[in-house]
Amino acid sequence: MQRIGKTVWKRLKANRQTLLWIVISFATLLIAWQVASMLSQGRVQIPAPLEVFEAFFRSMTVPIGKNTILEHAGISLWRVLLGFVVASVIGMAIGILMGVSPKAHAVINPLFEFVRPIPPIAWIPLSILWFGLGSSNKIFIIFLASFTYVTINSYEGARNVDPKLIGAARMLGASRRRVFTHVIFPSSVPYIFAGLQIALSVSWAAEVAAEIIYSQNGVGWIITMGMNNGNITQIMVGMIAIGVIGYLLSTLMRVVEGRLCRWNRQET
Amino acid sequence: MEPAGNIILRCEHLSRSFTTPSGTDYRVLGDVSFDVRENEFLVLFGPGQCGKTTLLNLLAGLDQPTGGFVEMQGEPVHAPSPSRGVVYQTTSLFPWLTVMGNVEFGPASRGIPKAERRKQAQYFIDLVGLKGFEKSYPNQLSGGMQQRAGIARAYCSDPSVLLMDEPFGHLDAQTRYMMEQELERIWRAEKRTVLFVTNNIEEALYLADRIILLTNCPSVICKEYMVNLPRPRNYVDPAFLQLRKEITREMDPTQ
Ligand SMILES: Nc1ncnc2c1ncn2[C@@H]1O[C@H](COP(=O)(O)OP(=O)(O)OP(=O)(O)O)[C@@H](O)[C@H]1O
Ligand SMILES: [Mg+2]
Repeated sequence: MQRIGKTVWKRLKANRQTLLWIVISFATLLIAWQVASMLSQGRVQIPAPLEVFEAFFRSMTVPIGKNTILEHAGISLWRVLLGFVVASVIGMAIGILMGVSPKAHAVINPLFEFVRPIPPIAWIPLSILWFGLGSSNKIFIIFLASFTYVTINSYEGARNVDPKLIGAARMLGASRRRVFTHVIFPSSVPYIFAGLQIALSVSWAAEVAAEIIYSQNGVGWIITMGMNNGNITQIMVGMIAIGVIGYLLSTLMRVVEGRLCRWNRQET
Repeated sequence: MEPAGNIILRCEHLSRSFTTPSGTDYRVLGDVSFDVRENEFLVLFGPGQCGKTTLLNLLAGLDQPTGGFVEMQGEPVHAPSPSRGVVYQTTSLFPWLTVMGNVEFGPASRGIPKAERRKQAQYFIDLVGLKGFEKSYPNQLSGGMQQRAGIARAYCSDPSVLLMDEPFGHLDAQTRYMMEQELERIWRAEKRTVLFVTNNIEEALYLADRIILLTNCPSVICKEYMVNLPRPRNYVDPAFLQLRKEITREMDPTQ
């Protein structure tokens, strides 16, 4: 984690120009927000940025409901992680199978195309009835949200393996199994990663949506509670947490990808 | 004059047709028969798009002929095998493996323990002049270095025959010239039977013990030359130039 932080920091430092623009863009947002909150006095309620940030940092030690905001975030992330990991493993297996076996593709793909357009949120009612009100219904939703992306990308990856590389491996004496594990799989990794990247952000969105609809904790719950109590500051605190975590997740994925797919980087 | 040495690889009445998208048959290889002798450097010389890669794929066992057969040391060839190493036209290194990972892929596939295969791989990496680049990924290497790695990888499976498909075709003239010299040096240090495909007459004459000329599609063998010039050869040697002129005229009588 520390190493990854360091890498991100190094990149930012290397690109001061970018850093400057990031600062400018956030400063603009904050100023606009501040102005809006001042102008809105007495009409709609827009809490000032300072007030929201204060509440945000306070919630790290003072619980909202039963948990601090870090605990809420941890609960949400844990569900995402479970659903995402299970979906990734199964998605890769099915996707690669479809990529190497036209028969498997012919059988699985129609089902897939049918299920795919149903957004994960549409599964929430069924999921609650099947898995109850606890964590498992959310894990199921996250599984559905990530599964399609990982599967489709793994399929694309396996289908696009250079046949010359498979020939080369066989010529070098690789068994069928080794061709699978040492050629088809690694050569699919960049595709798979693109899928994982989307899957993770979609999972995070699905988790939040599921929590907003029904839950007893998690960052989505913070927002729902804020709404029920008319506490706009709390809603905004929840939203900032969602944004920050979403950003951290995609950065984390990019860094991991950068390490694993170094070979795929276009070098001059 | 008959070439010396035992026959190691043989193809008999080999032909290959492809079905075009419009449904007609497109015959790429006519009727090709020839022998490859142990430890000779045999060059298949033919114009672009005449089916050289197709022929080599058949010899490697990566493709099946429409007619005829391929035999290696008396055994029919049906599938690729480490005994016939292939060096490809464009790089076919595994891009996610380092040079070392690529070169030791063959021995690793045959279950040779790490320490031993590392030693073998290092020997061939050194031999092809890639010492110091063991940890580089293929996309960090120049075209010539990638082909060096490809040669080391093919060698490291300890093949009896090396099949090389225009390995220097995509290199610039300078690098190509250097790689030809390098290949001859490598081949002299580690003698193997080499079947080398090219459409470059100078390359053919520089490397070959024997040259087989292929015609355009459907390609058949039109002539065979023994090249008995002393090695390393000289591009401006009169005998070299004479043979070059002869072969060029054979391929294109208008010249
Ligand atoms: N799998 C295939 N299906 C259909 N046609 C093919 C196939 N493989 C090769 N051909 C055709 O056969 C012909 C010869 O191809 P091949 O690659 O063997 O020639 P080549 O002599 O190696 O060419 P080059 O000099 O470009 O390397 C080409 O016209 C090509 O389109
Ligand atoms: Mg070719």
